[in-house]
Amino acid sequence: MTYVIGILDEVGGMLLFFRRILRGIFYKELKIHEVFVQIWKITSESLLTTALAGFFVGAIMAVQFGLQMAEFGALGYLGGLATSGTIREVGPLLIAFMLSGKIGAYTSAELGIMRVTEQIDAVRCLGADPIQELIVPRFLGIIISSFFLLAGGLLMSILGGMFMGQAFAGVNPQEYIRHVPTIVTPFSILSGLVKCGAFALVLATVCTYKGYTTSGGAKGVGRAVVATAVITMVGIVVTDWFTSFLGDIIIQAVQGYRQ
Amino acid sequence: MIEFKNLVKRFGTHTVLNGLNLSIQEGEIVFILGTSGTGKSVLLKNIVGLMTPDEGEIWIDGQEVARLSEEDYFLVRKKCGMVFQHPALFDSLNVFENVAFGLRRHFNLSEAEIIERVDKALKVVHLSGISQKMPAEISYGMQKRVSLARTVALEPKILLFDEPTTGLDPVTTTAVNNLILELSRQLRTTSLVVSHDMKCALEIADQIILLDKGKIIAQGTPDQIKLSKVPLAQEFLQEVMSL
Repeated sequence: MTYVIGILDEVGGMLLFFRRILRGIFYKELKIHEVFVQIWKITSESLLTTALAGFFVGAIMAVQFGLQMAEFGALGYLGGLATSGTIREVGPLLIAFMLSGKIGAYTSAELGIMRVTEQIDAVRCLGADPIQELIVPRFLGIIISSFFLLAGGLLMSILGGMFMGQAFAGVNPQEYIRHVPTIVTPFSILSGLVKCGAFALVLATVCTYKGYTTSGGAKGVGRAVVATAVITMVGIVVTDWFTSFLGDIIIQAVQGYRQ
Repeated sequence: MIEFKNLVKRFGTHTVLNGLNLSIQEGEIVFILGTSGTGKSVLLKNIVGLMTPDEGEIWIDGQEVARLSEEDYFLVRKKCGMVFQHPALFDSLNVFENVAFGLRRHFNLSEAEIIERVDKALKVVHLSGISQKMPAEISYGMQKRVSLARTVALEPKILLFDEPTTGLDPVTTTAVNNLILELSRQLRTTSLVVSHDMKCALEIADQIILLDKGKIIAQGTPDQIKLSKVPLAQEFLQEVMSL
């Protein structure tokens, strides 16, 4: 029972914190320069790893789809299907996991150290609002850069798929991308963007909250970082299920309306 | 000037401040001493609104501040400068920007005025010429003094020091203690110093307060404290004698 209350308490704390962030974004003056600094920092620090991971994910998708499709003689559709799968599901999930491990842990540790060394208290005492000064720029930075990283990761995954399609299944690049426009619909792109945004929202809220509410010195910072990693991973998977479930309902509703 | 009326602060079932009553006059240097965990830092944090008391009142210049909103605390914090136990400098900003941080937020000053006030504050703590250095490039003692300069730059009426000499070598400790005295006398500020340093308290305090289990167990001028029969006061005094 205590465990359940603890979880509810944590979720409630996060929701209240999220509300404070939203108030900071919509009702107070944004530190635009600081937001850009964060976007640049997160994007530039994570682009290479995201691109590399994207390349290999594209390659893996091409190999896996290629194995199955070769049996049906449908290798012409390899590029379209692999790209669609990456855009709709694997790409956003990959970016979210990458960001969770890198930026989520970093942000949580950075804010946690600022909390235990009284820097956050100092911000308040010096007449500034720490939510506005520290949290909102990081929160927006994570969300906005996740879209840039998604774009970079997806481009690289198409390249990786093309490369492996040629090397593994003998599908040349022109053939690989020929069916991409047919299979990758605007809904696929929208689905990928919604998922990317939702995952980034979960990650940004969790890591800023856990960092901001750190207590207990160095041990506390360690605990905050571990909790950030665990909660974001679980949160991202649950959000993935939820957005897929919601997407399915919307598709069925749209199809029903058309009929 | 500062008055605490029946102040109570609890953390769960643990009562840290237990009905504390205290009055501090303008321009006084008051040292608050006590063993660890007796609520000294908590008392300071309640003054600047970093914590809210569970019961009781805090009066500053005739205004009850204990239950002000975060926005309303802005003016109280302009009046009360706090020097933290850690230097609490912002790692990503250089010394100049650290000292200018509060000035940019509390006042509407031109860049030239900010430069002038930062230079003046750094001079007060005897640290001219390091304004472009990053916190990581200077020693811990210097970081503490920059932290002091950051608070002094705001020219607050009340200075709150949370263990300002913890972790410092004896030379820097003396320098910081002299600075507290200098600042209080020069700027005519009211200073509240949380410390374990009875020797320094006896030298520079106008009033010494001994806290134990969230209550005041001894209070008075250094001379009165020297004559105190309270066991904790005796322990602190014995430590000074042994030095």
